Amino acid sequence: MNENNNVLIRCHELTKNYKKGNRLVTPLEKLDLEVKRGEFLALMGPSGSGKTTLLNLIAGIDQPSEGVLEVCGEDIGKLSRSKLARWRAAHVGYIFQLYHLVPVLTAFENVELPLLLSNMSRRDRRERVEHTLSLVGLDGRMHHYPKELSGGQEQRVAIARALVASPELLVADEPTGDLDREAADSVLQLLHQLVEEYDKTIVMVTHDPRAAERAGRLLHLEKGRLLETEAG
Amino acid sequence: MLPFGYAIRNLMRDPARLLQAVLGSGLVVLMVMIAAAINNGMVGVLSASGSAKNIILLGAGSEESVLRSEISDRTAGIAESSITGLEKQVDVRAVSPEIHQMSFIAIDSNDRKQAFMRGVTPRALLVHQGVSVQAGHYVRPGQVMVGRLAWRRLGLPEEALQPGAEIWVEGTPMTIAGIFAAPGTVMESEIWMDLNDLRSMSLREHLSCVVLRLDTGEFEDIDLFTKQRLDLELAALRESDYFAKIAAFYAPIRGMTWMTALLIATGALLGGLNTLYAAFAPRIREIATLQAIGFGRRAILFSLVQESTITTLCGALVASFVAIGLLDGIAVSFSIGSFILSVSPSVAMAGLMTGLGLGLVGAIPPGLRCLLPPLPSALRSAG
Ligand SMILES: Nc1ncnc2c1ncn2[C@@H]1O[C@H](COP(=O)(O)OP(=O)(O)OP(=O)(O)O)[C@@H](O)[C@H]1O
Ligand SMILES: [Mg+2]
Repeated sequence: MNENNNVLIRCHELTKNYKKGNRLVTPLEKLDLEVKRGEFLALMGPSGSGKTTLLNLIAGIDQPSEGVLEVCGEDIGKLSRSKLARWRAAHVGYIFQLYHLVPVLTAFENVELPLLLSNMSRRDRRERVEHTLSLVGLDGRMHHYPKELSGGQEQRVAIARALVASPELLVADEPTGDLDREAADSVLQLLHQLVEEYDKTIVMVTHDPRAAERAGRLLHLEKGRLLETEAG
Repeated sequence: MLPFGYAIRNLMRDPARLLQAVLGSGLVVLMVMIAAAINNGMVGVLSASGSAKNIILLGAGSEESVLRSEISDRTAGIAESSITGLEKQVDVRAVSPEIHQMSFIAIDSNDRKQAFMRGVTPRALLVHQGVSVQAGHYVRPGQVMVGRLAWRRLGLPEEALQPGAEIWVEGTPMTIAGIFAAPGTVMESEIWMDLNDLRSMSLREHLSCVVLRLDTGEFEDIDLFTKQRLDLELAALRESDYFAKIAAFYAPIRGMTWMTALLIATGALLGGLNTLYAAFAPRIREIATLQAIGFGRRAILFSLVQESTITTLCGALVASFVAIGLLDGIAVSFSIGSFILSVSPSVAMAGLMTGLGLGLVGAIPPGLRCLLPPLPSALRSAG
């Protein structure tokens, strides 16, 4: 019982099909996976092996074709689109390779976005956004627009945005894929710190072995199946 | 909900496109305002022209056009003595024998225009009580009196039709005695002259009609009178019904103005949809990101609709200024008179509603095209 409570993500025989013309593509097939609270999991694998597909399923961006998918105590495979949107707002923060900041909003406003979905007062939101931005080391850049930031800074804003509503789970799709080594290291350091100090659970897709090293657990995906599990 | 500032700043992303969208929607709104103004003007002038207390006696079989009607000269006298309940002023009954016809007029002998002429006696003022002489005096033999909009209807400079000036009617020089007003009615575009002058000038023996004004009498009495005096070959029509028929006759033409406006509006709308799609399409990834964060489609669509509505309302504002500047006061002529376009509250409202409608409806198809693709592929798209 206790152990079950510790499981944040549970996939059982998780399958995802896409129709491509009259052909059926199966990026994920009967995948079993459990991720515990507070884990920092890295997913590696060749291009097209289904990493993003799995991440999207876990984050409630996509829905499975078959199998069980329980995340944060909810069977999200069966939620309606609008419920799934609300579930995402409450439980997951998504970090993208290309940051995906809204270009017309400042760093502050970008980070504030998820809080607009809560009924927090403006004042509380401001406090929370400022706190989160200082956590990622960007207190001095709050009113900069994305184009006025470096890639590493943009990714920190994106991490702050994923973090600000205090979700239990962060997912990251090649978060360092577009960064130089130095910026990548500091982003990884930040993610590591979030797991260690703030009890976040992180599932991170990466091609970078150095990034994988930072994670506590490493999984390889190959043609839609999990190949091996190693301790990091 | 997404902040309002998000919509505003998105608009400012591409000022050239914003301008294009504002002008495009302004054009649509302007078209609708023009159509509304024409319709209002035409319906207004026709409904103001007919009084329910006035009864027109005209030739049986010519009920739809006084211009084609011919009735006996004796009709006025017989009607006056047989019909009771007519309005009276100082013992003069409100009975106006009239000739209506189109005549050629000219200010110098070569430039001929067709004008609506009405041959009248001084009693015309008893039945057409909205008529008042504004300048000069009432028409006497050898003279004409011009409605205050006649110059517009005829395409003449206003100075050409001032009291004391001379105009040629069917080749005969006549002096303008005065200018009359009859606010909101077709009479303001007419030229009035003495009944006998017009009769001899046009070699007519007959009248076009006799207009009566009721006091206590009923239309039914007059209708009965026309049926008892079959020898006079008369039909009786309420003046208001007469103009209602004319209005009905013009309904297809009014429909055409709406159709034209609608066609142009549709063309502009399709162009506008393209513009909006072009504005939204590069934001597919951004819109997908907002969904990934947890914003619902409805909230995002609402923000997109805000964007487009702000744009189209700016367009409506531009259109209103253009309409007030260019449209207001223009005289539009049709066969029986002219009316002045005015940007009335209802015309402005039609424009505003069009702007609002364009914004609300216009953003939905391009908005949905951004919102409907599955999130995973939308997140992958270039942005
Ligand atoms: N919407 C879709 N329609 C059809 N096929 C898809 C779709 N999304 C993914 N696929 C296919 O599923 C497979 C896995 O894709 P996925 O994006 O998960 O790979 P990945 O491991 O993230 O690769 P990369 O390292 O290049 O990002 C690929 O073969 C891809 O073509
Ligand atoms: Mg991928």
